[in-house]
Amino acid sequence: MKLSLALASAAIALASAFPAFAGALTIYSPQGGERAVWIAEQAKAAGHDIKLLNAGGGELFDRLLAEKNNPQADVVLGMVDTSMALLKKEGLFQPYSPSWATDLPARYKDAEGMVHKFWQTPIVLAYYPDRLPDAEAPKSWLDLTKDEYQGKYVLGATAWQTPRMYLAGILVRFLDANGEVSDEGWEFLSKLYAHAIIANDADSYTEAFKSGRASLDLNWLGGSFKLAKDLGAKVKVIDTEGGTPILSEGVAIMAATDQLDEAKAFVNWWGSADVMAAYAAKFGQVPVLPEALAKSPPAVQENARLVKAQPIDWDAIAPKLDGWLQKIELEIR
Amino acid sequence: MTRTAGFDRLLYWFGLIVIAWAVLTFLLVPISAALHAALFRHGGLEIVDAVAELVSSRRVRAALWNTAWMTAATIVTVTIVGMFQVAVLEYFRVRGSGFLKVAFSTPLVFGGVVAAAGYNFTYGPGSAITAALTALFPSIPRDWFIGWFGVLFAHTFLMTSFHFLFLRAAMRRVDYSTIEAARSMGASELTILRRVVLPVIMPTLLAVTLLTLHTVVGSFAAPQVLGGRDFHMLSQMVLTLNSLRRPDMAALLALLMGMVLMGLILLSQYFEAKGAYTAGAKTTTRIQLRQIRNPLLRTMVHALAYLLAAIYLVPVALIVLFSFAPASSIGIEMLPSTLTLTNYARVLGGGTAFVPFFNSMLMGSAAVVVGLAITLFAVPIMVRKRNWLTQALSISFFLPWIIPSILLAVGLIVAFDAPNPLVGNAVLLGSYWLLPIGYVIFSLPLMVRFMRSAFIGIDPAFEEAARAMGASGPYRFRRVVLPLVAPTAILVAGMKFNTLMAEYPLSAFLYNVNNRPLPIAIVEGAVSADPDQAAISLVYVTLIMAFSLTVILIAERLSLGRTPETSNL
Repeated sequence: MKLSLALASAAIALASAFPAFAGALTIYSPQGGERAVWIAEQAKAAGHDIKLLNAGGGELFDRLLAEKNNPQADVVLGMVDTSMALLKKEGLFQPYSPSWATDLPARYKDAEGMVHKFWQTPIVLAYYPDRLPDAEAPKSWLDLTKDEYQGKYVLGATAWQTPRMYLAGILVRFLDANGEVSDEGWEFLSKLYAHAIIANDADSYTEAFKSGRASLDLNWLGGSFKLAKDLGAKVKVIDTEGGTPILSEGVAIMAATDQLDEAKAFVNWWGSADVMAAYAAKFGQVPVLPEALAKSPPAVQENARLVKAQPIDWDAIAPKLDGWLQKIELEIR
Repeated sequence: MTRTAGFDRLLYWFGLIVIAWAVLTFLLVPISAALHAALFRHGGLEIVDAVAELVSSRRVRAALWNTAWMTAATIVTVTIVGMFQVAVLEYFRVRGSGFLKVAFSTPLVFGGVVAAAGYNFTYGPGSAITAALTALFPSIPRDWFIGWFGVLFAHTFLMTSFHFLFLRAAMRRVDYSTIEAARSMGASELTILRRVVLPVIMPTLLAVTLLTLHTVVGSFAAPQVLGGRDFHMLSQMVLTLNSLRRPDMAALLALLMGMVLMGLILLSQYFEAKGAYTAGAKTTTRIQLRQIRNPLLRTMVHALAYLLAAIYLVPVALIVLFSFAPASSIGIEMLPSTLTLTNYARVLGGGTAFVPFFNSMLMGSAAVVVGLAITLFAVPIMVRKRNWLTQALSISFFLPWIIPSILLAVGLIVAFDAPNPLVGNAVLLGSYWLLPIGYVIFSLPLMVRFMRSAFIGIDPAFEEAARAMGASGPYRFRRVVLPLVAPTAILVAGMKFNTLMAEYPLSAFLYNVNNRPLPIAIVEGAVSADPDQAAISLVYVTLIMAFSLTVILIAERLSLGRTPETSNL
């Protein structure tokens, strides 16, 4: 037993030598994989000492709320409108007006001056013309329940950001006078699920397209292009009747940061026109800063005009979303 | 002499106080915090609403029904496969039993998310086997494996590890002289099996069945990966409810599962106590392998044994093989056409791919060592002195088993998200330490369970003899007891280490920016469309399997030739 104790203390001594990575600016961001690598590399090259923690949007949101009394993050980067609004409500952020905020259109800034949006991401309905002739493509999200599209589209897990957003985009069309979803809305959604291929993970989502079953992609714009590239096929985005839900990703500095100067410097750098344009050139994400958009490749500028926006008040929807998703998970799918 | 005895006493009490503090701080407080937060956060009566919502949910009812029938079906199939394995390895003479043993031991190192993903890789819609099948029989759908069949298949072959470990040991305890006696009295082979062998292994078989039952009820990875849209089980519903921000409903459902599981644990302890008395003669004649006389039957048993080995080895072999394949061939080629060491160089070269591996190795070994130290200190006391205090301790150690790890994670978060006087007013959430602490808690039940059996199984005559010769308590422990339980300790440490390397729910909730562990990296790799990531995940999995298999085979070797009591269950 003494041996085990000695081993235990050795292990603990060894372990305590590693945890300390103080000094780096900790950034929570849902941008993972090659995007995270790019952000880390570019930030380092610009002289910012950062450490990124990547996780799904929902998971990061829960984590930020849980860590309320011992915040680990200095900056929150790239979470969508609804999440940023709720986190702000919890008092996690502090006001700061970045150097690039003056030219930012008003609808990408908040009244408190805490959250500044830098990208816009349409959640699109797209189709593969080699599988579905142009004339037969749906015109609206509400066409999806028609019999001819049965088994031709994939619904992802409700834990993911994208399905949450298009489901919300569909349900807001069925709000009654009291702001509740009507029975007609839930019937539509039941049918939408009944006719769909369901994917719980990214592999089975891709598999549905690889096997040729799916011809309609409900995805965020960049994701839709990436899938098409992986499949080696051509995809066409539909400018739907009734509009397309468009999200904006924002950045904010945590109220509890102990590295305020570094955080400000990072936010100034991140949102600047050059960095945004470089990111756009690399990953095709559409910046909302006019100067950044002007510097972006023509294809990105074209993407900015691809679809017209569905009018959605995300801040009003944010508190209702959980209840809707619960109904979907427990009753409908 | 008295000075060392006094020191030992001091150490004993110090250990006891530390354990009492640890149990209170890291077990009881978090669990009650979780239950309180879940059930009473809006006052008392909300529970009624939550129950009503659960009952009215179509998918919750379906999950309940699926879990019930899947559990029953799995128990039947696992028992058949497990007993067949034991018969092939320990009762009948079968050629190549060394090879078969390695094949049948793979579930020890190939479980959880990793195994489910491996089965999907082997039999799923994109697999070579499916491609071959659909080419032969075009009417077979590509997702033939997905659904209840795949889940049952995976359960059947992945949950035989308890049979492999304990039923084999029980079979070795069968006294061969009783078999010979029965034969000399003219009993047929079947009668011998039924009337002589079965009664001896029956208590172990029941205990093993209960352990398996426990595993099936809480099964998560298999239905998640292989269940498809039409088959889901209770633990998935718990996770879903939690992600829907309804921890109250998640906790209620988890409690329901927990109560069933607690009942099962109590039952298994009952059988364990019973098994200790039916263990048989003190000096047994080692069982001799039986030759199967009927040539047709012999061929059939051999064929079945090797088919079973193939089922076990093919997914593992594919994973190992593709870990040496260029990233571009994964998911494209049926078998890699070229082999390379690039993937291994990337993981072991010390770059970013190495960090999660290092983090998990460090936290996993720390947790296993601490857990083992606690177990080795507390279990002998719990076994020797039976009073309300040790009973309470024993039940506390089993709590993490009936509380789903998600709820445990929630409890740790709630208990340590603000300064807590029990840990010197520190805020542990967000720190490096919460995840390794969670790992220790998560490891305790299985360690306590196995070590308890090992300590109970020690023949009291050993200690009595040592005491009669004047050996002191700590000396007896070190030189007599510890060597007897060492194989079990090494085995359980290896198994637990392996589980920790693939533990997902706790890891996902508790990791921080400085200790991102392997399971998170593996899941990201599996989700990522980037083939390089997938290749690195395969390397991780291969390394973990190799490491755990080594540990387990060492433990197996150590335990051979020892008194049979050491692997008593």
